[in-house]
Amino acid sequence: MARKWTRYPKRTFYAFVAPWALGFLLLTAAPMVYGFVVSLTNFDGVSPRYKWVGLDNYIELFQDPDVWAALVRTLVFTAIVVPLTVGGSLGLAVIINRRLRAVGLWRTIFFLPSVVPVVAMAIMWKLVFNKDAGILNAILGLVGIPPVGWLVDPMVFYSLIILMLWGLGGGMIIMLAALQGVPQELEEAAIVDGAGRWTVFRHVTIPMISPILFFQLVTGVIVALQVFVQPLLLTNSAGISQAGGVPDSTTLYMVQVYQEFFLSGRFGYGSAMLWIFFLIILGLTLVLLRSSRSWVYYEVDADAEREGAVR
Amino acid sequence: MTLTENSITEFPTLTPPSPRKRRKANRSSSGKRPGAWTYIIILALTAFFIGPFLWLVLAALKTPAEWASLPIQILPEQPQWNNFVDALTDMNFIGYAGNSLFIATTYSVLITLSSAAVGFGFARLRAPGKNFLFLIVLATMMIPQILTLLPTYIMFARIGLLNTYWPWVLWGLAASPYMVFLFRQYFSSLPKELEDAAIIDGAGWFRIFATIFLPLSRPILITSFLLSFTWTWGDYIAPALLLDLDRTTLAVAITAFYLDPNGNAIPTVQAAAAVMYIIPVLLIFFFAQRYFVQSNVSSGIKG
Repeated sequence: MARKWTRYPKRTFYAFVAPWALGFLLLTAAPMVYGFVVSLTNFDGVSPRYKWVGLDNYIELFQDPDVWAALVRTLVFTAIVVPLTVGGSLGLAVIINRRLRAVGLWRTIFFLPSVVPVVAMAIMWKLVFNKDAGILNAILGLVGIPPVGWLVDPMVFYSLIILMLWGLGGGMIIMLAALQGVPQELEEAAIVDGAGRWTVFRHVTIPMISPILFFQLVTGVIVALQVFVQPLLLTNSAGISQAGGVPDSTTLYMVQVYQEFFLSGRFGYGSAMLWIFFLIILGLTLVLLRSSRSWVYYEVDADAEREGAVR
Repeated sequence: MTLTENSITEFPTLTPPSPRKRRKANRSSSGKRPGAWTYIIILALTAFFIGPFLWLVLAALKTPAEWASLPIQILPEQPQWNNFVDALTDMNFIGYAGNSLFIATTYSVLITLSSAAVGFGFARLRAPGKNFLFLIVLATMMIPQILTLLPTYIMFARIGLLNTYWPWVLWGLAASPYMVFLFRQYFSSLPKELEDAAIIDGAGWFRIFATIFLPLSRPILITSFLLSFTWTWGDYIAPALLLDLDRTTLAVAITAFYLDPNGNAIPTVQAAAAVMYIIPVLLIFFFAQRYFVQSNVSSGIKG
């Protein structure tokens, strides 16, 4: 870029990005630092008298079986939900990408749930999952399956997964765009060479859309790890103060954090949990980014792309 | 970090799916039209995606006895429209809807304008440190908001911002990394001759932004506004944490009221409230679906 940039003072750029920069400092960085400071105290949220406890919260956290259980549960949940979400949205996109009748209608129907607010989603699914009056058990009853307690341990874990999969449509739209971005010539050439449809999909389409698959994987992991409102609203209706009403099998890590904050009044301990969780998410993301080198295919030359990104 | 950048900047090269393109793309790869099995799968999926909506609407039209009846009763004898009346009057529904509307509109207008300005800066201006700052923008897209919300809550409690709408004003002024990204992509794609004439005329950069670039970015402005609006309308956790029950939003209110004397939620009335609560979102979705498609495709950030 040979644009002359001496024709305006540098501070013009800083003035334009100031809203974001100030916002980042005051509303993202400051809370995180403040959260770290709180994590070194035994602050309970109300009493002004709290004292420094150093790293005690962090030491306790590593020995807390509840925290470990919640963490393992969250990782298992993520390991189940993310592949189902990425694979499912790709599957939906493949279906929608065929020469269907009324394709716009199906696309709208599949996409719609992903914009439904979480509160309405939870109310709806509570009605569907209701043990006695829910439609799901009614349908299962037709084939002779006795009523299932979808909203209690242990089934509620799977109910939560179903609820998450209901919002697949957002990912589908992205996958659809990705599929349509694959150059036709490549697929045609493979077919001319005698490849079957599955082979073309597996060895041409998938590698071509691997950057998008990868991006969906990373954001999917970050989203799944911090799932919190869904389990809370699915199993009780009286808000944050009752985070304790969540069944064990959906007490994911963030639910556990809210319980420490608002049930036990342990703001310091909860803040320590948040910081550890932040590091875990950061670590997982970095591991995924590193792994991408071996399986994500970038059509664009990395250096050229880097220049483009920071133009 | 380089890889993050790659994978993120990859997205704007995608174009939204269009029926015309689809047909062209598939003439060769899929050949014949799909058979009956495909449609059976599609109908099953439709039942999964639409079923909960129908069940919600049916519940909203039943009496509590019909809702709880065994064996299950699919249709109500008579549509109970008074469930909707109860939903409107058991709590101050209109008032809470007004709170939601106020918060969502304020936030969305502010975040759209601030993100446009920041995106403009990153797209059209240069200064030392710009690349580094943009990397931070990309990185913050990855920071889960829920992690910062609890410390923010403690901070806001300290400085007396609890139970006010100021947090949404502050968040709105602060621009959103995701919207900044959308605007930056858009402004970068415009020819640089655009500002040249204005600079020769002696216009300042703010005027160039406000009178030339901002009007040109109409599609992104609409996308940003609608997306932020539906997001804030649907947000549960921030208002639940920051606002008392008498000043809160509709999202929180419909989970907190509609109780019978024993403190149990009345499912039929709550269902009616939920139906009314999602109507604005559905309207926005049906009339502006392409903006949602566009924004999803441009970045894929939305979970």
